[in-house]
Amino acid sequence: MSFLAPIALAGLAFLPVVVAMYLLKLRRDEAVVPSTMLWQKLVSDVEANAPWQKLRRSLLLLLQLLLVLILAFLAARPFVERPAGLAGDIVLVIDTSASMQATDVAPTRLDAAKAAAIDALRDLPGGGRVSVIAAGRTARVVANGTDDIGNVKAAFNAIPPSTDIGDLGDALRLASALAARSGDAEILVATDAALATPPAGTLEAPVRVLQVGRDAKNEAIVALAVRTSPSGLSHSAFISIANLGLEMAERRIQLYADGVLRDSRVLVLDPQRKTDISIDDIDDPQTPASVIEVRLVAKDETTTAAPDPLGVDDRAWAIVPPAQPRQILHVGEREPYLETALTYLPDTELYYRSGEEYSTLTGLDEFEVIIFNRFLPDELPAKPILAIAPPESSPLGTVTGTLVNPGIGSLDASDPMLRYVDLTTVHIGEAIRMELPAWARPVIPGPGTAPLLYSGTLAGRPAAVIAFEPRRSDLPLQVAFPVLLANLAGELLGGSETPLDGIAPGAPVTLSIPPGAIGVRVERPDGSADELVATTAGAPVVTFARTDLLGVYTVTPIADPKSTASPTTGAPTAGASSSPSAAPSAAPASPGASPTFRPADPGAPVRFAVGLLDLDESRIAPGDIARLTALGQPAASPVTGAGAGATDPRPNARDEIWIPIVLLALLVLTIEWLVYERDTLARLRRSIATRFRGARPAGRDA
Amino acid sequence: MALSPNPQDPGSDRVPDAALASADAPARPIGIRAFLPNDLDPTVFDEGFLRQLERLGVLMKQPVRGGLKGGRRSTKRGQSVEFADYRDYSLGDDLRQLDWNVYARLEKLFVKLFVEEEDVTITFLLDASPSMAYGKPQKLLFAKRAAAALGYIALAGEDRVVTTALSGRSARRHSGLRGSGRIFRLLGNLSGIHPGEGVTDLLLSARHAAAMLSGRGVVVLISDLLDPAADRVIRELAATGSELIVLHTLSPDELDPQLEGDLKLVDSESGEAIDVTVDLAALDDYRARLAAWQESLEDLARKRRASYVPISTDTPLADLVFAELRRRRVVG
Repeated sequence: MSFLAPIALAGLAFLPVVVAMYLLKLRRDEAVVPSTMLWQKLVSDVEANAPWQKLRRSLLLLLQLLLVLILAFLAARPFVERPAGLAGDIVLVIDTSASMQATDVAPTRLDAAKAAAIDALRDLPGGGRVSVIAAGRTARVVANGTDDIGNVKAAFNAIPPSTDIGDLGDALRLASALAARSGDAEILVATDAALATPPAGTLEAPVRVLQVGRDAKNEAIVALAVRTSPSGLSHSAFISIANLGLEMAERRIQLYADGVLRDSRVLVLDPQRKTDISIDDIDDPQTPASVIEVRLVAKDETTTAAPDPLGVDDRAWAIVPPAQPRQILHVGEREPYLETALTYLPDTELYYRSGEEYSTLTGLDEFEVIIFNRFLPDELPAKPILAIAPPESSPLGTVTGTLVNPGIGSLDASDPMLRYVDLTTVHIGEAIRMELPAWARPVIPGPGTAPLLYSGTLAGRPAAVIAFEPRRSDLPLQVAFPVLLANLAGELLGGSETPLDGIAPGAPVTLSIPPGAIGVRVERPDGSADELVATTAGAPVVTFARTDLLGVYTVTPIADPKSTASPTTGAPTAGASSSPSAAPSAAPASPGASPTFRPADPGAPVRFAVGLLDLDESRIAPGDIARLTALGQPAASPVTGAGAGATDPRPNARDEIWIPIVLLALLVLTIEWLVYERDTLARLRRSIATRFRGARPAGRDA
Repeated sequence: MALSPNPQDPGSDRVPDAALASADAPARPIGIRAFLPNDLDPTVFDEGFLRQLERLGVLMKQPVRGGLKGGRRSTKRGQSVEFADYRDYSLGDDLRQLDWNVYARLEKLFVKLFVEEEDVTITFLLDASPSMAYGKPQKLLFAKRAAAALGYIALAGEDRVVTTALSGRSARRHSGLRGSGRIFRLLGNLSGIHPGEGVTDLLLSARHAAAMLSGRGVVVLISDLLDPAADRVIRELAATGSELIVLHTLSPDELDPQLEGDLKLVDSESGEAIDVTVDLAALDDYRARLAAWQESLEDLARKRRASYVPISTDTPLADLVFAELRRRRVVG
């Protein structure tokens, strides 16, 4: 056994000091008593002739000497040596991805990984260095080449649980770079190895994996989308739930709209399968919701225990797309029935231009749908198009003739465009005979192969063609007409597309700075807020990266105190009548791939949601560590280490034996205290005994 | 007997100025205050208390020959109304003492003998050593009060009362008092007893007091007995032929010391000091030794046909007289 700090043994010099304290004459308080007769032969420490007699049977002295001895021994940091099991330079990679929050290993896999790492570092040779890398969405060095295990533990404390999505690739490459600087290095990876795609490449040092995790059972919300129903009147939620375990599971799913429970249902989830459900009418048309939250809870709502080990994937949020006015341009012959029906659509602004005026029209980009009625331009705009009785062939379809009193063919009731549309009593007087193009599907089939209404995606944009003028039929007189138009508009306006994608945890978000603002204030789900101010005046966007918390973030502009102009609301620049005078200034796209959010009202708050929604990260079954180990070099010799030039024998590992010494010191200290306070304790014991027995105190019996 | 100011008493002109000037002087009967020791509480001896004392008497285990005519049975035959015995008539006897009823039945002359009633001298030996000046309340003060109460009982019982202070190596004896009217003198004598200075040899002073005893009577020793020769004191006083009553007076601080820590204990008489670490074990040893000491003194007293009464100075005087002393057959 050796000592790390032998100089501390100088503390043994306190031993004679303690003895000297006992040898020194006590300074006693003087008390006059009637007679010392009864005291004469009682006391054991009557002033003695020889001072050494004071030391006899002084248990306190012995205990205090023993305590000084133990403390000096402890301060010298004794240790024992044994062969080191690790290299001299350790790069420790701690997986901090979301799956490490699983609680199948108490308290969490992350904490278990830290504990396993600390335990493994006991094999570190004397003078060994440790670097620590936190592997989340990105790799982060939290400790670099320290030889103090205390620093390593402090670095561990600086690694909080995260919801990041990561694959260890960056971290292992960084670890390899750090390991390459030493001749005797080793990479320790503390992870659950639940990786969908293991990192590729070769690392410059041997890799040892400290695997944590046990269970595979987990149910997760892996997708959530809120869509505007084709009518545009309400919203529907589309949820995908995966059972990643090996057994069938029953879970309850709850849907909250702005914090109000709107739906709750029990799902039976097949193992290793995804279950998709849709929930319609999740809010009222009059009071549309802004935030949708979906929770995957236990089947029995009263159960307090966690239904699965990983809780971060049991909640998801989605932002309901804000109601923005949809601008529709009507070109060609005026159609009163059509215009009347379109103006009844909610959030719809209808503009009209004749065919001649269309050729000189600018600002087409501001319109979301263009309806050509008995008119087609020479070149179709790159916009969603609804063509009504096109006069000539075009990419929208080939006109082959005219149909008189065409009958309506067999309808597909499941077609979303025919939802709530009853065409059984509709009569069409005249229609254009067209051929169904390849890009379209028939919605209202006509006689033979000639469709009366078809829809599809043309050149990447939705398009639909009605082969008859409404006024040439009795359709406008029936309820089915506005419903059909609403479904058509919803299809063409992209109501089935996800309006706002969720953000992955930790992913940066580019936020637009509205005109008249100098920055934005982002309130995180935990209530904390960050203020982001553009570093350069007039910068249109800022980037927000603290998206590590799951939930809804709210962005509000920070007004420029120097600016007095109020933000202006954007509008199309079309020179048409009734059109707004100015076009909205679309925010330029950011260079990166991150989404950009731009409020419709510059002063209104913008929300975005951060959710895990990652099937791979929810797959918590511990993976095969061999795939990680195989990335590294062959294992080093336990004696000499590995690496070029590593000829020096590897130092032994040192185990400090402070714990038993501290326990011994505490024991001695406790005994010393008990001996010192034995009178007080005896009085307390007698007092309690007297109280229970109700006897008179001793000493007054005489 | 009621204690009231007596303008005819020559002691009335000895009222101390301090007593008159005291704040509570108006509430005290000035005449009594004049005869009381300064440190005696006059309210203790109120009329009700004295009435109760008058009903008591100092008990003796056996009659003894006294001096003057008194109220206590004597070993002599005398003139009391209590019949004692008969004896044959002899020439010269008082014919009034013949029992004519017996003569009528037996035709023989017998003379009736009656019990003689004489007084007994009750001697109070008050330890006035410096150690008696300690305690709360002070042991000597308690001793004076006890002596005053017992003395009044004796005076009311037509006994002779003598007070003697034991101090130094000698005893200071006051003249004997007789009759309840002498209570004020008794109180005055007691008030004149103060703690002595220097070491008191209790044995020598007790011997001195024993030498001054006249005849057999009752000796009441009131002392803390904190003297190595305390047992010899009891032994020698019991050997005088008088009935010995020992009131072993200790203060609560001596019975249950409230000391703790490393102390230098200084003897109040000798000034000698000893270093003591007073812990719980030492206190337990002290109490055990004290109990053993008291037990040994009680055994000794029992063997010498003496009465031993251990008493704490915080005992109320009424409890001492009407409870403790009656229980131990000292008074009755």
